Amino acid sequence: MFKHDQWVRPDLKRYRGLLFCSLALGVLTFICAGALMFTSGYLIDFSARMPLFAAIYVPVVLTRAFGIGRPVFQYLERLVSHNWVLRITSHMRRKLYQVLEKDAAFIQERYQTGDVLGLLADDIGHIQNLYLRTLFPTVVATILTVIASLAIGWFDWGFALWMALLLLVQLLVVPAWGLWVEAKRKTAQKAMTHDAYVELTDSVLGLSDWVIAQKEPAFLTQATHSWAKLAASTHKSARFTQFRDLISQLAFGVIPVALLIWTSLTWTGTQTAANWVGAFVLVIFPLDQAFSNIAKGVGEWPTYRDSLKHLNAMQPTTRLLPAQQAIPHTFDTLTVAQLSFQYTPEAQRLLTDISFTIHRGEKIALLGPSGMGKTTLLQLVLGDLTPTSGQVTIDGVSTLAYQQHRSQLFAVLDQSPFLFNTSIKNNVRLGNEAASDDQVAWALAQVQLSDLIAQLPQGIDTPMAEAGFGFSGGEQQRLALARILLQDAPIVLLDEPTVGLDPITEADLIRTIFTTLQDKTVLWVTHHLQGVARCDQVLFLEDGRLTMADTPAHLAAANTRYQHLYALDAGK
Amino acid sequence: MIDKRLLRLPGVQQVMIGLAILTVLQAVVIILQGHFLALGIVHSWAQKALVSLWPFIWGFAGAFAARQVLTWGRNRLAENFARRLADKIQQRLIKQLYALGPQAVAHAGTGNAVTMALDGIIEVQQYLELILNKLLNMGIIPWFIVGYIFWENHLAGIALVIMFPVIILFMIILGYAARDKSQQQYAGFQQMSNHFIDSLRGLKTLQLMGISKAYADNVYAVSERYRKQTMGVLQIAMLSSFAMDFFATLSIAVVAVFLGIDLLHGSVSLYPGMVCLILAPEYFMPIREFGNDYHATLNGKNALAAILDLLDQPAPQLRQALPAYTGWQSDSTLTVSALNYQYADRTGIKDAAFTISGDMNVALIGASGSGKSTLLNLLGGFLQPQSGTPFVVDGQPVADLNDQAWQAHLSYIPQHPYVFADTIANNVRFYRPEADDAAVAQALQAAGLTDWVATLADGVNTRIGEGGRGISGGQAQRIALARTLIDQKRSVWLFDEPTAHLDIETEAALKNTMTPLFAGRLVIMATHRLHWLQQMDLVLVLDQGQIVAAGAPAELAAHSTAYQALVAQMRGEFDV
Repeated sequence: MFKHDQWVRPDLKRYRGLLFCSLALGVLTFICAGALMFTSGYLIDFSARMPLFAAIYVPVVLTRAFGIGRPVFQYLERLVSHNWVLRITSHMRRKLYQVLEKDAAFIQERYQTGDVLGLLADDIGHIQNLYLRTLFPTVVATILTVIASLAIGWFDWGFALWMALLLLVQLLVVPAWGLWVEAKRKTAQKAMTHDAYVELTDSVLGLSDWVIAQKEPAFLTQATHSWAKLAASTHKSARFTQFRDLISQLAFGVIPVALLIWTSLTWTGTQTAANWVGAFVLVIFPLDQAFSNIAKGVGEWPTYRDSLKHLNAMQPTTRLLPAQQAIPHTFDTLTVAQLSFQYTPEAQRLLTDISFTIHRGEKIALLGPSGMGKTTLLQLVLGDLTPTSGQVTIDGVSTLAYQQHRSQLFAVLDQSPFLFNTSIKNNVRLGNEAASDDQVAWALAQVQLSDLIAQLPQGIDTPMAEAGFGFSGGEQQRLALARILLQDAPIVLLDEPTVGLDPITEADLIRTIFTTLQDKTVLWVTHHLQGVARCDQVLFLEDGRLTMADTPAHLAAANTRYQHLYALDAGK
Repeated sequence: MIDKRLLRLPGVQQVMIGLAILTVLQAVVIILQGHFLALGIVHSWAQKALVSLWPFIWGFAGAFAARQVLTWGRNRLAENFARRLADKIQQRLIKQLYALGPQAVAHAGTGNAVTMALDGIIEVQQYLELILNKLLNMGIIPWFIVGYIFWENHLAGIALVIMFPVIILFMIILGYAARDKSQQQYAGFQQMSNHFIDSLRGLKTLQLMGISKAYADNVYAVSERYRKQTMGVLQIAMLSSFAMDFFATLSIAVVAVFLGIDLLHGSVSLYPGMVCLILAPEYFMPIREFGNDYHATLNGKNALAAILDLLDQPAPQLRQALPAYTGWQSDSTLTVSALNYQYADRTGIKDAAFTISGDMNVALIGASGSGKSTLLNLLGGFLQPQSGTPFVVDGQPVADLNDQAWQAHLSYIPQHPYVFADTIANNVRFYRPEADDAAVAQALQAAGLTDWVATLADGVNTRIGEGGRGISGGQAQRIALARTLIDQKRSVWLFDEPTAHLDIETEAALKNTMTPLFAGRLVIMATHRLHWLQQMDLVLVLDQGQIVAAGAPAELAAHSTAYQALVAQMRGEFDV
C-alpha cells in the first residue's frame, strides 16, 4: 500500500545519527532500569551471605550507577527524539508547502472548504506522533526483546525461547489483536465525529432559528444525536482497551512466575548460583513499561494511515506552458480574443467567445451576476488557466509566456486579501522585499492609513495579530492596496475588493483605489455600480457571454437595463 | 491541578469513595504480591526445592492477578462515571447555549462553542478519568506500602518517606521554572506554530507577489527556529520528570545499599531486605504516573474550567408576559420608550423611543457601528435591555422581548441566513415540520425558487448546507424567505442587511420577490442599501446608538439634515 510513500521513508534516512542515538538511548534507559533491579537483587541476596564489605563494593557502585543512568538516559532520549522529530517536521512542512505552492492559484477553491489546510497541517502532527508514540517505542521494545532473549540464551537456550515467546505476546500479539478489533470501530468513529461536528455546528450557527422556532427539545436532540452514537462507540472502545490491558498484564505476569520456576530449577545448585535468583526475577519488572504503551501506539495506526494517505495523495497538476519570456518594459494593449473556457470537455462551458481590448492606462469595469465566470475570466487573463480556445495577449504575446515573472506584470487585489501574522511593515513589504522603510511609509500614506498606524503603539512594526482586531474590512483592503503599490505592476486586476463593505467605506475605498492606481491599467470585477462611472468602459458578463460593452456615459444615456440597475444601486 | 468545582460535580464524591475502597484493596494486594515474591526468592536463595516454592508462586500469581483485576475494575468504574458525567455536562452546556441565545453565543465565538461542546467534553472526560484514579493512587498506595516497609525495616521506611517531599519540592520548583520559561516563550510559540498554517493560507497572495517559491526556505527557517525554541523549553520542562525519576531510582539504589549493608552486618534477615527492595519501586510508581500525566490533564482541566464558567453565566429567562398576544395584527402597536442597551465596552442603544403600528415597513439606517443590528436584536428579543420596561406591546408593558408569544410570531433573517445540512424541503419546513409537500412547494414558489429547484436532479430532496450542494448568497436568502413564508403566523419580519453582499442584478431580482411579500406584515429592516427606503413607511436614522431622525423617507429627505448627510455619504460615487 505504501510502496510509493513519500512522507515517511525518505525522512527515516535523514539525520540518521540522531535517530540511532535516540533509539540507543531508549534501549539504554530500560537496560539501566533492569540492571538497577538486577544488581540490587544480587546485592541483597549476596549480602545476606554476609561476605566481606569489599566483596559487595562492585554491586554497590553499580547499583548507584544504574540508578543515576536510568533517569539521565531517559531525559536525553526524550530530548534527542523530540529534536529529531522536530527537524523532520521542518522538512515535512517545507515539502508540504512546496507541493501546495505548485497549485497556489487554486488553493482557495481546492482547500478552503472545511479548513483542509488546517487538516493537512494536522496530518504532519500525526506523523510526528507516529514516530514518537508508535515507531520509536516499538523499535526499542523489539531490541529489548532480542537482548533479553540473547542474555538468557547465554545460560539456557530452551528457556530463552520461552521468554522470547512471552515477550512477543506483548510486542506482537496484543497490539495486533487490538488493531484488528479496533480498526473498523476507529474508522466509524471518525465518521461519527464528523457528523457530530456538522450537527452541532448546525445547531449553534442556526441558533436564532431554533430559538424563534421555540424547539428546544428538538435542538437538544439534534445537537447530541451523533454525539450519543459516538459516545456509545468510544465507550465500547474504552471497554475493549481496559480488557486488552488486563489480558496483556495477566500475560505479563506469567514472565516473573516462569522466572521463579526457572531460577529455582537451574540456579540453586550452589550458594553462589543461588545469589543470582533475586537478580533474575526482579530484572523483568521495569521492562513492563517498555511494552505497556505499544498496543496503544499501534492502535493509533488508522489515524496515521489516513494522514499518510492524504499527504501521499496530493499530486500537483502539471501544466504545459510556452517558452517563458522576459516581461516587456511597457505595452500598448491587452487583448482578449475569442476566448472560450470549460474545465473539461464534458463540463459546462463557463465563458463563450469573449473579446475585448484594454489600452494602457484604461480602467475597465466587468459586471455580472455572481457565479457567472467573472473570476474565471480574471484567472484566464492572469494565465492561471489555459483557455479552451482563443487567447489573452499583451501586444501579441500570450500572457501564458509571462508566467515566470508574472508579478512584474500583474497585481491582484481580491475580496479577502491575506494578511500575514507578522508586522504591518512586513505585510506591506511583501509587495517588494527590497522596499525601504520610507517607501513603505509612502505606500501607507497613499492608501491613507498613516494616521491610523501612527496611533498604534509600535507604529508600522505592530504585529497584525495585535492590530488586526482594530482593522476593519476597508482598512485591511487598504493595507493590501499599499502592498500592490509597492509591487508596482503595470496591470492591476481588482476582483470585487469592496464586497461586504458598507457603502460609505466602499465609496471611500473606491476613491482611494482610483486615485492611487491612476497610472495603471485596471480591470475591475465589481458587483455594484458604485464608482463605475469613473471607468472608460463597462462590460456586462452574463451566462458566460459579453452582453453589453460601452462607455458608462453611453450606457447611462441609452441603455434601459443599465439605467434601471444604476437607479437601484444609487437608491433612487 | 484541581479545580475546586470538580469536587462539587454531581456524583464525584460517591465515586471517589468507591474508587478509594478499591484503591485500598489494591494497596493490600500490591503488598501481598511483593510479600509472596520475596518469600519465593528467599526460599529459592536458600536452595529449597521447587515443590516448597509453589505456595509462594501461587500466592504471587494470585496477588498479581488480583491487582490487575482491581486496576481493570477501577478503570471501568472511573470510565463509566466520567462518561456519564461528561454526558451530563454536555447536556447542560447545550441547554445553556440555547438559553443564552444567538447573540451571547456569537459573542463567545460559534467555533469556540462547538469546540467546547465536542473536543472540550472529550478532554473533560479524559481528565475526570485520569485525575480521580491518579489522585487516589497517590493519596493511598504509597502510604500503605511505606507503612509495611517501615514495619519490616525502619531505616528503609524512613529513607523513602524523606524522599517523598524532596521529590514533590523539586517537581514544584522545576514545574514553576518550566512554566515561567514556557510562558515567556508562549507568544512567540503560538506565532511560530501558526506561521505554517498562515503560510499555506496566504500562498495565493505570496504567489501573486511572485515570492511563493522563495518563501519555502522561510517556512523551513521559521520551523527550525521553532524547533530550537521548543527544545529550549523542553530541556527545562522535562527536567521535572527527570528529577522525579532521578530521586525515585536513586532512592531505590540507596535503599538497596542500606539493606545490603544491614544484611552484611547480619542485623536483618533476607526477607525484609528483599520485600523492601521489591516494594520500593511500587512506592514511587503513583507519583511518577501522576507527574507523567500532569501535562495530559492540563487541557482537560482548562476545558472543564471554561465550560463551568460558561455554565455559571446567568442566562436570560424566556418570558411569558404577553399571554394575550396572538400575533401581529393590522391594528397592533409596539411602543418603545427610553430603550437603552449597554455593551461591556461601549454604548449599544441610548434612549431610543418610537412607535410602530400595523403592517408598516420600517428601515433602520446609519453608518457601521451606529446600533442598527443592536436595535434589531433588541426587537427580536435576542438581546435584553439591562433595566427598565421600555416596550409596550398592544398595551402590555414588558421589560424585554425574549418572550415566548412574541418570538413565536416573528422571523429573523440575517445577512447570511443559516442553511441547515439537510434537504431543501426540510430547510423550508424548519418552523413547521408537519407542513406537507404542497405547502413547501408553495413557499418555494413565493420565494422565487421553483425554477432553480426544477433544475436539480433530486428537486426539493437535494441536500444543501455543510456537505451538501453549495448555494449562492441570493439562494440562501430565498431559502430563508421560504422558511418564513411557510409559517403564516410569523407576521413580524426582521431583516439584517438582506441584500448588501449580493451583486446588483441578484439584488434587483431578490428585491422584486421580496417587496410583494411585505404586504400585511410588519417589516423591520436594518440596511444601508438606499433603494429599500422607497418601500418604507418609517425610517429611523441611527448615529452612535441614538435615533437622530425618524419619519417617512420623503419627509426626512425634505427636512432632516442628519438624514440628508447620511444619504449623501452613502451615495458616495453616485453623486460625483
